[in-house]
Amino acid sequence: MGILPIMMPIPTLHASGSGTVESTVNQPLKEEVSQESRNAAPPVPTESRRLALETASAFENEGFRLRDGEWYNSLSKGQAAFLQVTLFAGNRYWFVAASAENSEKMRIVVYDASGKPLHGDSWQDNGAHPGSRTALGVAPAVSGMYFLAVELLDAPASFPVDTCLVYAYK
Amino acid sequence: MQTGRYFAIWVLSVLCSQGATLSGPVIPPMTENQKQGVLFIDSLSVPSPGEVFVAMNKACRPNWATLVTSSSAPVTTERSQLALAVGVLAANGYIAVEAQDGQQVKNVGREMMQVAKSLGISESLMGRGNSLMQFADNNDWEALAEELEATENEVKATMVGQKDKELIALTSAAAWLRGLDVATSVVLASPTLEGASVIEQPALARRLSLRLGDLPGRVKQGDRVVLMRDSLNQIALLLEESGKDPSPEKRRDKIQKIHDLSASMVVSIMASANVSPTPLMQPSPKPALSGMSQITAAPTNTSTHSSPSKP
Repeated sequence: MGILPIMMPIPTLHASGSGTVESTVNQPLKEEVSQESRNAAPPVPTESRRLALETASAFENEGFRLRDGEWYNSLSKGQAAFLQVTLFAGNRYWFVAASAENSEKMRIVVYDASGKPLHGDSWQDNGAHPGSRTALGVAPAVSGMYFLAVELLDAPASFPVDTCLVYAYK
Repeated sequence: MQTGRYFAIWVLSVLCSQGATLSGPVIPPMTENQKQGVLFIDSLSVPSPGEVFVAMNKACRPNWATLVTSSSAPVTTERSQLALAVGVLAANGYIAVEAQDGQQVKNVGREMMQVAKSLGISESLMGRGNSLMQFADNNDWEALAEELEATENEVKATMVGQKDKELIALTSAAAWLRGLDVATSVVLASPTLEGASVIEQPALARRLSLRLGDLPGRVKQGDRVVLMRDSLNQIALLLEESGKDPSPEKRRDKIQKIHDLSASMVVSIMASANVSPTPLMQPSPKPALSGMSQITAAPTNTSTHSSPSKP
């Protein structure tokens, strides 16, 4: 093994300052509560979740701890969803998104508090396995608030597609 | 399961052979509209205490064994206090995991089950309790850390099922506050305040406080919830100032105040029903450079717990 240690450390990332939180603080509670409920309820054993956890297990094998939570989205082509997270300098993170549909192109982006995208190590499956998966590894240089985005760049189907995101840290 | 393992190996192989590629196209910054649409979900937006402690390990290598405290679940029928206690206990479990203290993890597991029983949700958690004991016996610390978070989340999930969804915000806030209590002890023990940047998360403190403000009236007006919200507001302000303060003395002073607030709140959460909530900013002993456990010691409760039904 020892593959990730060779690949790591992820290039140092730069976040600019702590930014402001006002933009996310005043979110409508309705939306928050509905997301809350979805994530607090016992996880629905969806195929997208299974694929995300299967992919994330690669990182668990390398000593990453998986958060016990997932973020579900139903995305149309070109659509993105955003989530606030708190990341810590010194920790390394892998975010994994998956969908049960084949040949989809998803992208995960981590933005700093000011909305600038961070550079990281991205990985996309090559279609050799059923479903679609993508992962992003980052090592923030600054502890603080970040925004996580999952975007469906391309999809053969015209209907919205269910995606699931999980993350691991070390 | 086999397939999963092969897939994991395949992922690693691909990462190795192709290398991780930096994203090709230039990604534009977030727009204001996108910022307005950002979600906050309890299970991922609030960092787990374990995540904070892993970062602390890298910043200053705390002596976790001195930070382990034994605290009993409060004897109370107040559901909001029980929800807060779940958070504190989960954080205590992470401290025990970092200290690799299997017996203490078991004790925390038992106390969590006790709280779950008081909340009327113990049956669905029995399996979790047994797993915690088993992992502790096997010194499987990584599995324990994940199981603790899973246990906390299962309590939350059951709260949703019992129409106690609002209590989730209390559990998350309490877990973070207990983590802050311990992390500030560690930072204050360092002459150069190592690890301070890990704890300086004013945005999160403010967000957690706002969520408590959104709770239904009957829950929001509870003594401990009011205290918790006040503490979080004060902490958010202090964290904001602390991060900007160039003077180490002033920064230390602010971190000390944050520690006092969080420690006092934790004591209040773990106090039994006949003990009134601890007033904020009660003078607390100055942190020693070692043996931090006495600072955050919660009041000892009786070992026999009542199991009140849902009021």
